[in-house]
Amino acid sequence: MSKPIEFKTGTLSAMSAIIRELDNVRLADTMHTMLGGLGEFFAGEATVIDLTQLTKAPERADWAGLLSLLRRYGLQPIAVRQAPEHLVESARKAGLAILSADAGRMSAERPVAAPTAPAPVAPAPEPAQASLDMPAPPTGTATMIIERPLRSGQQIYARGSDVVILGGVSNGAEIIADGSIHCYGPLRGRALAGAQGHTAARIITTCFAPELVSIAGVYRTFERGIAANLAGKPAHAVLRANAAGQQTLNIETLQLD
Amino acid sequence: MTRVIVVTSGKGGVGKTTSSASFASGLALRGFKTAVIDFDVGLRNLDLIMGCERRVVYDFVNVISGDANLHQALIKDRHCENLFVLPASQTRDKDALTEEGVEKVLNDLKHMGFDYVICDSPAGIEHGAIMALTFADEAIVVTNPEVSSIRDSDRILGILQSKSRRARDGQEPVKEHLLITRYSAKRVDEGEMLSYKDVQELLRVPLIGVIPESESVLQASNSGTPVIHTKDEDAADAYQDVVARFLGEERELRFVNFEKPGLFKRLFGG
Repeated sequence: MSKPIEFKTGTLSAMSAIIRELDNVRLADTMHTMLGGLGEFFAGEATVIDLTQLTKAPERADWAGLLSLLRRYGLQPIAVRQAPEHLVESARKAGLAILSADAGRMSAERPVAAPTAPAPVAPAPEPAQASLDMPAPPTGTATMIIERPLRSGQQIYARGSDVVILGGVSNGAEIIADGSIHCYGPLRGRALAGAQGHTAARIITTCFAPELVSIAGVYRTFERGIAANLAGKPAHAVLRANAAGQQTLNIETLQLD
Repeated sequence: MTRVIVVTSGKGGVGKTTSSASFASGLALRGFKTAVIDFDVGLRNLDLIMGCERRVVYDFVNVISGDANLHQALIKDRHCENLFVLPASQTRDKDALTEEGVEKVLNDLKHMGFDYVICDSPAGIEHGAIMALTFADEAIVVTNPEVSSIRDSDRILGILQSKSRRARDGQEPVKEHLLITRYSAKRVDEGEMLSYKDVQELLRVPLIGVIPESESVLQASNSGTPVIHTKDEDAADAYQDVVARFLGEERELRFVNFEKPGLFKRLFGG
């Protein structure tokens, strides 16, 4: 007879929320700006609260508030990494696993939740680590093709491949791909290419009007509108290294005819 | 073959029930045996607009729960020979609309030889709205030319793509039609309202008609006569065009261009 329970060890890839200031009000404010105020930005990913870059440890932490804030955006916090000594006990009580600094080394390729980021562009990851952990570009999977418009509230993830959308992406819809996103028609929703950290991914559209574009975690929102030379025009978003060697998100017009 | 058509919008107050009533009446006037079902359990509007509220004995939920059969519950319309109304219940619990129950009623209507069944959806994206669109072959998405209505219509189009029986079974998708209501060519001309072209461009669904904003719509609702029966009225003509286009006829769009009144008209009135 099989045992009613068994224990096995396994590895889990998790989102990492690198928190530099443990101030829930500031975090809430920053996340609202970064993520466009849209709840359920993430899709229930397991999340490690990473405090390795904490600038100043507060005397006490409001874990319950922080957990509820992260959950509001669809993150599922499971652990805290390198919590200051005096906060360990309360974190454990809040139901978080305690990880040491070197436990669960993670790729800094997708620093989506770096709260002190000077929006709109997320901070570039430390170059050394970035090159070490660079995931290989997705290969071998057939391109996903979507023939109907992607409507408000719908979300599609092209795992390990490019995606081609023939009907456009409406406001409030979200298209995510590990590879590039090719949108023939208006791109009005949110587009996240290179979701696994593939920095050469691009977002190409015949009509540029998105709420957010992101490549390998470097994102830009357009709450204050899109520059007139780009709005509604053929354009692509691409990561390019600037003089300081940092990856910046460039949006460039395309000549189609 | 019976065709099931859902009239839906996401947003409330855009003219779903008004459109359901006039569209169903228009089909019946052309000789098609038509039933129109009010899915707004708990509120009841359709029977008022159709002018049959005093003849409601049994309702949709009674039929689903087996308290009455369809023949008892269907109310014959007082304006058209071929039109029957299945009213919503005002008192029952919303969960009374079960998927099996709705499917059985629709199948029974098919066996009774109906050509068209119009499902008047409640607002929102809750259970009642989902039930109204689940079995649809075609969908008329009613939208006002304003941003929140367009966004909600977009959302409901996405739900049609995922929750309808046709989508779930991988059949040919639900055929979508865009119906723009409460359109004021004058306000569009003055730049205060999105044009029908803007709306169509945002939603990317074939346009089946544009209904002009009109006081006679309200008067018709209050008098319990679907506006399509009103003589010499733009909104009525626009609904006639919708029915014609639905049946495959070519009709040019009317009532979408604003003509500035000339001096004579301004002096002496229209």
